[in-house]
Amino acid sequence: MLEKMAEEAHPNILIDESTIRPGSNPPVAKKKRNLPGTPDPEAEVIALSPKTLMATNRFLCEICGKGFQRDQNLQLHRRGHNLPWKLKQRTSKEPRKRVYVCPEKACVHHHPSRALGDLTGIKKHFCRKHGEKKWKCEKCSKRYAVQSDWKAHSKTCGTREYKCDCGTVFSRRDSFVTHRAFCDALAEETARVKAVSNMNTSVVGNINCHFMGTPQGNSIPQNFPSIFKPISSSEDTMINPTTRGLSLWIGHGSQGQETMVNNNLQGIHQLGPLCSGETFADPLVSCSNMSPSDYHQNWVFGTKLSSSNAEELTSTSLPLIDVKEAGTQLLSIPSLYETQHQSNQTPSANMSATALLQKAAQIGSTSTDPPFLGSFRFKCNNDSRVQDGNKLCGPYGSNSILSNLGKDAEKTAGDLFQIHPAKRRHAENEDGAGGETRDFLGVGTVQPICHPSSFNGWI
Amino acid sequence: MDITLFTTPKEAPLFSYSNQKISNVLQAAIDMQSNNQPQNSHTSTSRSSDSGELPSASGKWASRLLKECARAISDKDSGKIHHLLWMLNELASPYGDCDQKLASYFLQALFCKAMGSGQRCFKTLNAVAEKSHSFDSARKLILKFQEVSPWMTFGHVASNGAILEALEGDTKLHIIDISNTLCTQWPTLLEALATRNDETPHLKLTVVVTASTVRSVMKEIGQRMEKFARLMGVPFEFNVISGLNNLGELTKEGLGVQEDEAIAVNCIGALRRVEVEERGAVIRMFQSLKPRVVTIVEEEADLSSSRDDFVKCFEECLRFYTLYFEMLEESFVPTSNDRLMLERECSRSIVRVLACDDENSTEGECEKRERGSQWSERLKEAFSPVGFSDDCVDDVKALLKRYRAGWALVLRAQGDHHESGIYLTWKEEPVVWASAWKP
Repeated sequence: MLEKMAEEAHPNILIDESTIRPGSNPPVAKKKRNLPGTPDPEAEVIALSPKTLMATNRFLCEICGKGFQRDQNLQLHRRGHNLPWKLKQRTSKEPRKRVYVCPEKACVHHHPSRALGDLTGIKKHFCRKHGEKKWKCEKCSKRYAVQSDWKAHSKTCGTREYKCDCGTVFSRRDSFVTHRAFCDALAEETARVKAVSNMNTSVVGNINCHFMGTPQGNSIPQNFPSIFKPISSSEDTMINPTTRGLSLWIGHGSQGQETMVNNNLQGIHQLGPLCSGETFADPLVSCSNMSPSDYHQNWVFGTKLSSSNAEELTSTSLPLIDVKEAGTQLLSIPSLYETQHQSNQTPSANMSATALLQKAAQIGSTSTDPPFLGSFRFKCNNDSRVQDGNKLCGPYGSNSILSNLGKDAEKTAGDLFQIHPAKRRHAENEDGAGGETRDFLGVGTVQPICHPSSFNGWI
Repeated sequence: MDITLFTTPKEAPLFSYSNQKISNVLQAAIDMQSNNQPQNSHTSTSRSSDSGELPSASGKWASRLLKECARAISDKDSGKIHHLLWMLNELASPYGDCDQKLASYFLQALFCKAMGSGQRCFKTLNAVAEKSHSFDSARKLILKFQEVSPWMTFGHVASNGAILEALEGDTKLHIIDISNTLCTQWPTLLEALATRNDETPHLKLTVVVTASTVRSVMKEIGQRMEKFARLMGVPFEFNVISGLNNLGELTKEGLGVQEDEAIAVNCIGALRRVEVEERGAVIRMFQSLKPRVVTIVEEEADLSSSRDDFVKCFEECLRFYTLYFEMLEESFVPTSNDRLMLERECSRSIVRVLACDDENSTEGECEKRERGSQWSERLKEAFSPVGFSDDCVDDVKALLKRYRAGWALVLRAQGDHHESGIYLTWKEEPVVWASAWKP
């Protein structure tokens, strides 16, 4: 508040923030200007009436009585009178410093302790705060009491351009604002912001990114396990029944997601035949702590495990691990899978983490019969622990991973992983960042979620 | 009614489309006028017909023909109707110049009126429109329109100004937006709330949608608005109410009005969609919500007092839409698809007003506009007018400056300044009326 008022009075003065304190005395050493609103205690306080304040000619020549607005102008004029040298000089006594108070009683600067040191300053202050705004900008109808303010504004008004994230430039602020509210760039921005905040804390997001980037060109054997089919009949964004299973961890929202989901599932489908275990070795061979049996669980995520992509996947499988550690390579990961990169893939991939969880939570809450988990549970000899509401990540995630993905996840995540206490234990051993950045896939902490034989139904 | 209405009479020579054609057809019209018989030969006489105003082919032929036809329908002169409809059909085109467009859309209405198929036609048009509406297309269209013409933004700026002033200092605001503007009014208001010096108030926005085409996109709109409010840092809540048959059915509870909220009712282009007899009830319903301010924006045309007189109603309708189409033509580029879409939107309204009977009225599609003075009469029963402040008027004027020439703001100073609202004029014709009321 102090600064604000001081600023108004002396906009040209750089305010020394560190020394402004209410009611303090300014350092006497300062010669030129005192801090605004904190006058020299020795100064003479002048209280002018509004009329006098606004009077234009305050400085009068003693010789001829002519009035001037400024002291300097008066001095210049006096020279013209050819005064004898002695008289030319002003009175030798150094004039006492003058400070002025605002005539407006309600104003802070009315009190002598908050007087302003400059006459021009107090005049402007009085006008701005307590005066009638007589000057108006033509273009935008903004009003000003002080002419100089108005002039300064008029110079810049209308010249300012507003640029939206989408690239469009506006000369009018109102059309810019309205455009912005409906611009798609806004939607992406918030999604991106969300995703970025998740990216750094959760590897799961990264892994999911892999998911997103399923190569589209692959032909998919449709032997995707029936488990994945009717996860949620109420799920409206899933167009392909077989895609529903993946909806657990595939984001919702943008239409682009749907194709991606399909793609992902295609990838998963691909894995179907791989469950026998041969190709598992490829990409994961370089992973530490991976045992062959781990691949069984990883196959879902490993569209990379598709035989047709084995080579690329092998070479790019490393990022999986790196991602786990670095957690920042999110954006590069989708390229693992994308033979054709869709422009909507990356942003959607970025939304994956939270979106996935939200989606999963949604599905969990809407579906009364979770065949996926149900059957999975069944197949995995693990019927008792999974609660119906927790469909979040299927059997693969760890408790702690999910807790990073979202608040709703947290409640439900824990239950889910009762399925595999073994896995959880294992996951706990694995050290991410304080136990938080578990690898969703369990890469690095690879654990079979179930005994491979339990995959019978859909291998 | 002769069902061969649109078959070309055998005697008619084949005209190639040209100004010659127009003048031939017009000549035929005039001959018919004077001889009361259809004549399609262009060698007929009577240049000195009663009207004495055979214009050049590029004159305002559409207006004359259309009015003639309307009169013929009113007189139930089937021969004349037949002929005129045929002529209009020849000359009309939704892709031509203003006259041709007007001819095309009004011809449709006249035809329906003559055939009694207005209701069916209206339903079809509605269904088509609903199908082709998507969030993207609607958004693009409305934003483009607002960019090139102040037709809508005039009302928005005036209303926002009045609302902000009336709700100054309140911390819980509830705006009831009865309109079909796809919430394009609110981003600037949100920004204004966000940049106020004092505490940013909490805003609850309840949108009541009356047009079926808008309903489907409201979900997406809501999401955008919520996101934007978050971006602006304004605590925001958004609700949509749709599927109402009758605005009068709204209640305090239905709208979610709470005791500690400061209510503003914002009604843009929605009162005209209420059946004429029910308008009083709707205004009383507004009163029951105990709002601090009610902002009403309507288009300036009188299609309700003349509803029993077809010809008068028709002429007024034609006058209004002529202005509108001309305005559109001058605001958009000639090849604009957006303008075409906007013109098409009018066709439903025109058919509804001219060719549909009130008895079969469907929900919220009445479209019988009234002038500002007429609305004022109604509103004065429950509210008293509050003028727009100088600041607000200045804001509107500044807004108009940003558009092409031709637009102006007029205050109908009748006794009290600003009393009866402000008018947006285009080429000195008042087209939109904005007003603010308090209980």
